[in-house]
Amino acid sequence: MKTKLLLLALTTIGSGALCAAEAPKVGAPAPAFSLPASNGKTISLGDFRGKYVVLEWFNPGCPFVQKHYKSDNMQQLQNQFTGKDVVWLTIDSSAPGKQGSLTPAEANKQIAEWKMKSTALLLDPEGKVGHEYAATNTPHMFVINPEGNLIYEGAIDSKASTDPADIQGSTNYVKAALEEAMAGKPVANAKTKAYGCSIKYDH
Amino acid sequence: MVSNRMASLRSLANALLLAAGLCAVPAARGQVFDGRQLVEAKLVADTATVTPGQPFTAGLLLKMAPGWHTYWQFPGDAGIPTEIKWNLPPGWKVGPMQWPIPLKLTEPGDIQIYGYHDEVLLMMQLTPPLKITTPAVKLAAAADWLVCEKICIPGNANVQLELPVGGESTPANQELFSKFRDRLPRSLPPSASAAVHWSRQPNELRLTIADRSLAQASGVDFFPLPVAPTITGHPRREQTADGSVVFVIPLEEAAKNVQSLDGLIVSGDHAFSLGKKWATAGSAAENPVPGAASDGLLKLLLFGFIGGFILNLMPCVLPVISLKIFGFIQHAGDSRKRIFGNGLAFTAGIFAWFLGLALLMIALKSAGREITWAFQFTNPYFVVAMSAVVLVFALNLFGVFEITLPAGATSGLLGWSAREGYAGSFFQGVFATVLATPCTAPYLGTALGFAFAQSAAIILLMFLAIAAGMSAPYLLLSAQPAWLRFVPRPGPWMVRVKQFMGFLLLATLLFLLWVLGVARGVDATIWVSAFLLALSVGCWMLGSFSTPAASRTQRSLVLVLILLLVLGSGFYFIGQKFAATKTAASSLTNGDWIPFTPERLQSELAAGRSVFLDFTAAWCITCKFNEAAVLESAAVRSAFERYGIVKMKADWSNADPVITKTLKQFGRVGVPLYVLYPATAPNQPVVLPELLTQALVLDHLQSAATKVAATK
Repeated sequence: MKTKLLLLALTTIGSGALCAAEAPKVGAPAPAFSLPASNGKTISLGDFRGKYVVLEWFNPGCPFVQKHYKSDNMQQLQNQFTGKDVVWLTIDSSAPGKQGSLTPAEANKQIAEWKMKSTALLLDPEGKVGHEYAATNTPHMFVINPEGNLIYEGAIDSKASTDPADIQGSTNYVKAALEEAMAGKPVANAKTKAYGCSIKYDH
Repeated sequence: MVSNRMASLRSLANALLLAAGLCAVPAARGQVFDGRQLVEAKLVADTATVTPGQPFTAGLLLKMAPGWHTYWQFPGDAGIPTEIKWNLPPGWKVGPMQWPIPLKLTEPGDIQIYGYHDEVLLMMQLTPPLKITTPAVKLAAAADWLVCEKICIPGNANVQLELPVGGESTPANQELFSKFRDRLPRSLPPSASAAVHWSRQPNELRLTIADRSLAQASGVDFFPLPVAPTITGHPRREQTADGSVVFVIPLEEAAKNVQSLDGLIVSGDHAFSLGKKWATAGSAAENPVPGAASDGLLKLLLFGFIGGFILNLMPCVLPVISLKIFGFIQHAGDSRKRIFGNGLAFTAGIFAWFLGLALLMIALKSAGREITWAFQFTNPYFVVAMSAVVLVFALNLFGVFEITLPAGATSGLLGWSAREGYAGSFFQGVFATVLATPCTAPYLGTALGFAFAQSAAIILLMFLAIAAGMSAPYLLLSAQPAWLRFVPRPGPWMVRVKQFMGFLLLATLLFLLWVLGVARGVDATIWVSAFLLALSVGCWMLGSFSTPAASRTQRSLVLVLILLLVLGSGFYFIGQKFAATKTAASSLTNGDWIPFTPERLQSELAAGRSVFLDFTAAWCITCKFNEAAVLESAAVRSAFERYGIVKMKADWSNADPVITKTLKQFGRVGVPLYVLYPATAPNQPVVLPELLTQALVLDHLQSAATKVAATK
């Protein structure tokens, strides 16, 4: 009896640990979350049922992120899809004291400097949502469909580099996923290997 | 857009090198960030001069500031690999980048990356054209990397190297190159690929490596090399109790046909590269598509066939082959049908033995035992039984006794009476094959090494190919008996030949006794000889007192006495006395040969000496032949001395498991095996063929020595 209880306890702990580490799968429901935005509002994923949602992991000090912002590539993409009623959430999971960690004021300054067009810049200094999604890179992109399921996870585009010149001639996977899904087609590249800097988590 | 790009370049300027392409001479280019040099990049070569047409190795040397790292070809969860784009004069060729074994680093948030700290040399082979008209060549390349500590900064540099063109290449940067060559993963030996097994579940791959010592080693890891679009999670080691290492590699994205991955099996400072073949379609056995893998199989089956054919000419088979030729002479007068029947029966005997051996090996393998060619000779009781069989045959040939068959069959010599026929031919086939086993003929080593690593079906096929090769000449001769027209007519001379063959068999017996002596000491030899003496007496009694003329009672009595004599002496001499002898310390590794241990090999290589490693066994005639005719010849001995090459011998007579393992690393399951480790490239050992010649060995020794001399 004792052994059985012990086994049960071990199994429970084990599976708990596994679940925490498990990344959401493409096709499965995207984990719910609530985070403070730089503008002071609290944003919940659940608020956007019925809309496409893009999650973009962000660190302004990362050269891969800079590649897409300083070339205006990211802003154009944000502008194009927020214009189509897509919710674009930029998330910063850098831990305090590490590269990319932003106070709300610094975040707002960054939005202004780079003319960011995302719906909101969310601050996740404890890395909770980052871990929930098993996000590893900046930029790391996720696309969620109106039913709340993950339909894309991975890189922003097909050329892993820090050279802005590579943007032209690369396939933008986020754009492709959104356009395919909106046209009722299956997403051809639903999962790619994200490229970029590691997210500067605390743990 | 353009202004943005400009802005980006400007803001990155302090992160990038300052002087790229501005000044011509300095070879090292740096990446400076916040006034600190993060990465110094330099192009180096292992030669000071370029010889037209002669390949050499060049490398991109990256020196990182303390704590910073650049990335491996598979960067892991984040980061990008270092890239190099060459700008070479026309006609030059560049080989693939050789990546040293990386470190696995874990960052907060369970982010695993693979990269290099301190410094790394990324090597590539460059091949100059056959003709170079300029007095010097300028090799230029653009390198791109990402260097990270707490933050990541991309870097790049235009590096170049100017080398004079000369007739003779002069080594350069030897220390640096040898340090990083040591850190290159080694390719997985074909035999070891037997121990590697992949299986695929929908969302994960399981890699099983059946290797006891690896299972016991600490810090064994698997570094995957997934090819897009395959995406892997973090490999994790699964605990097993059965002496194998199991890695589970989660698949986040993979097509259905992804059955395996390329990658490194890392243990401490060493790593084996699984190689490209794993990256596509699993092992040959699992690959249902005919292609490269089955081509390889066909080629190796052909090797098996040729090897089987050559077995006929091996010294250990010589007495039996003489007997068979003799048998054909006797058959010459028979009807075609009968001759062909005998040929078939002989072939069937050969096949039966190989088939039995194959089934036994498959059974042993499925029971998880290590299997090796000629493993039965490592069992002393098998050698005792062989000795008894050989002696009885010899006595039979001498005419000490004859086998009397019931039902009025004419008496004849055991095994090859022309009238007695098929059973005898069959038995001869078996006998010839048993004797052939200790000689691993050329071609067989490779073929068997391959087969033992494969599925049961392939082991079976391989053994059948060898059987076919060995029996082919007999079958052809018996199918075309017209070719026998050239041999003399049967006559009284045959009795003399028969007796002479008996002496050949006795010579074989001497060899077997020596094998026993080496394995178990001189006492073992004498106890076995005592048993053989009793056996001889038994045969003599059979021939003298149990004749067809004797009464039934006498015959029965004699048979009982013989049984008592043979069983009794067998029980006493073999069961008691012989069994009590201990496995002797190897007497093969005497003289100026150092007994092999992996530690000793490593220490000799670490001391910068070249090592010649001889895998041998007392019962291996090919080994003995090579040793006597080549390795111990005056010319070769003095060459060893002159070049200061360490001679090391691995005695496999008693199937030492450490040696078995080492053999398997070279894809072999038997001896002989000759390996030369050049001091300059100790992790690129050279495997010599199974049949040595003086010229060949001298050649290899000299080239190893030249390389050493060139280094110094």
